[in-house]
Amino acid sequence: MANLNTTAQKDHTYDAIVIGSGVSGGYAAKELTEKGLKVLMLERGRMLNHITDYEAAMKDPWEFNYNGKLTVEQRERSPKLARDYPYNEMTADYWFRDQDSMYVEKKRFDWYRPDIVGGKSIMWGRQCYRFSDLDFEANAKDGYGVDWPIRYKDIAPWYSYVEKFAGISGEALGLPHLPDSEFLPPMEMTFVEKEVRKRIEKNYPGRHMTIGRVANLSAAKEEQMGVGRGKCQHRNRCQWGCPFGAYFSTQSATLPAASATGNLTLRPDSIVRELLFDKDKQRASGVSVIDSQTNEEREYFAKIVFVCASTVGTAAILLNSISDRFPNGFGNDSGELGHNLMDHHFRAGARGTWEGGEDRYIYGHRPNGIYIPRFANVGEDKRDFLRGFGYQGGGLRGNWRQSVAELSFGEEFKNAVTEPGPWSMGIGGFGETLPYHENRMWLDRDNLDKWGIPVVAFDAEFRENEKKMREAMKNDAAEMLESAGLKNVRTFDGDSFPGTAIHEMGTARMGRDPETSVCNGQNQVHAAKNVFLTDGACMTSVSCVNPSLTFMALTARAADFAVTEMKKGDL
Amino acid sequence: MMKRRELIQRASFLVGGTLSTQVTSALLGEVTNTGASVTVTKAMSQLLAEVADVIIPQTDTVGAKEAGAHEFIIRLMRDCHTLEPQKKFYAGLERIDQRSKAAYQKAFVAISRPEQIEIIKTTAEQDRGYFKQFKNFTQIGYFTSELGCTQNLRYMPIPGRFEGDVPYEKGQGIIMNSR
Repeated sequence: MANLNTTAQKDHTYDAIVIGSGVSGGYAAKELTEKGLKVLMLERGRMLNHITDYEAAMKDPWEFNYNGKLTVEQRERSPKLARDYPYNEMTADYWFRDQDSMYVEKKRFDWYRPDIVGGKSIMWGRQCYRFSDLDFEANAKDGYGVDWPIRYKDIAPWYSYVEKFAGISGEALGLPHLPDSEFLPPMEMTFVEKEVRKRIEKNYPGRHMTIGRVANLSAAKEEQMGVGRGKCQHRNRCQWGCPFGAYFSTQSATLPAASATGNLTLRPDSIVRELLFDKDKQRASGVSVIDSQTNEEREYFAKIVFVCASTVGTAAILLNSISDRFPNGFGNDSGELGHNLMDHHFRAGARGTWEGGEDRYIYGHRPNGIYIPRFANVGEDKRDFLRGFGYQGGGLRGNWRQSVAELSFGEEFKNAVTEPGPWSMGIGGFGETLPYHENRMWLDRDNLDKWGIPVVAFDAEFRENEKKMREAMKNDAAEMLESAGLKNVRTFDGDSFPGTAIHEMGTARMGRDPETSVCNGQNQVHAAKNVFLTDGACMTSVSCVNPSLTFMALTARAADFAVTEMKKGDL
Repeated sequence: MMKRRELIQRASFLVGGTLSTQVTSALLGEVTNTGASVTVTKAMSQLLAEVADVIIPQTDTVGAKEAGAHEFIIRLMRDCHTLEPQKKFYAGLERIDQRSKAAYQKAFVAISRPEQIEIIKTTAEQDRGYFKQFKNFTQIGYFTSELGCTQNLRYMPIPGRFEGDVPYEKGQGIIMNSR
């Protein structure tokens, strides 16, 4: 690459490079191109065209082979992915096969890594909640991790900004610890959810139950129709890709917006090996890229680089970017790069059945559930653990999969199983995990992938605080459901390993002090100010709410800052 | 029915007419488990179809046999299970046939439906684990088949709206989306 001639170098030079095309990368591309920058967006996965490539989306049930189950070959090809549901018959081709994405587990870590343009914005759960100062002040108050360099007021306008474009359906509650978004109309609760809500809010003053806040267009406004998006059709097949563009994804929203500017170049199949460092300027000069299909190596250059390759991907690229200035990884003066790896712990809660309501039912399929905002360690509700959890769940009648009188068969069974079953409702907590320095990922330099890049290794676990919290997640759920009148209430505590919730965060945290953090309050790498980290890697703590909305807001804010600095000549 | 077809055609138009490129392979049952598999003979397939049909018989809607639930089960066993679970599954099927031969000196497919029901009753009592597995596979295969789904359920691929709390009268049926 050393003998690139100047023409080639010019061809390979952009104003900005965005690494990754998921929720954060897509948003960075949109904001930067709309501000007039020529942007190269690099994605290691394959192209996935909007609508036409969503192969499962319009199929009927009888057009699938296995009702969602994996074949032996698919399981053997990707034994780690096959441990949990996101990898299934309908979405199998959206994820990297394990053989192309090896990683080492000192302890189990579920690394769900998309193999497509759009990243996890295609398969995400779409739940969108704002962080509050309860979250931004948490580290400072209890001493875990470092203090966030920002507060709610810094990001609030950016939440509003991205919400208006993304389109978030939900109900305003006016809670300081779960601030309202700019909402599209809320989806409706089911019969049993309405009943349970009434009782919970009566029996537990200060606790609330609301409909999930979700990035599906319950109504399409001009901002969304302008990029070709349509209203939610209530099919609840979102994870396969939406032919109506009704939920926020790179393909439905940020990519068409960025493309419309004429300023975007998108390169799929482009694996970023490392960031290039210009020691004279103390800046990144660009990136080196391997074409995953041809193995051809190239370099691209830009004034600024947004690294949005996902929490693990971003840290892995930085760790692999070694120079005299950064012998331990790009921007890693603090030694924190790869540490403080967090995910939400979840799947602990309770469920029960509702007697009555045989004359009530639903119409359509709601791609959403209910939400119970955090109440533990809020106000007077003090617990024996730090931080808190929110509940997600829902109440429905039994569908055609229900089991009826287990030894029955024949006509009696057929008649019973084709009638909607009893109402039942379950809620499961999503809990905040503390930022432990010991929970980490790093590069196993003795172990190279098929492109010669060191593979990622993980050593992270949930600890005492999370375990105590899970007890409360179960007990509080059972207590609330029982008091709400549900019968046969049982608690559950299912498989939840770091990574399973796919809310991994924290590997290159924001902070004020370059000695204890990787990037600053504007998401700039402390030691190389033209590199911005705006995906989950930058998160200083994780709250208990779903994080993607915060990645969007931080990205839009950082893009605005970056372009302002460039105009001032500071970048 | 017309309405649903129209909706699907409209949707198909929206996605540029490139629907279901893998339908063909689904129908032909493309082999995707390259490991060793139990060879399912025609006789085994007929027996499987017959047992499934006893579990979900024809009423005013099709039974499991006509819906092709057994084809789903054969495919699921062959492609999604390794050899050992396959062997176990077909051994259970063989046990059903043995019960029939012991009781009626005839293969399960050759006895009357009331006799078949007796054999499955016995199976449910004496071979509970196998019965539950078979019943579960039949349920999935049946309700995800075109006839089983559309004749028994309110299949709504594109409902257009959601209502959480509408009146229901017995007989209206379950709403289904995809899986």
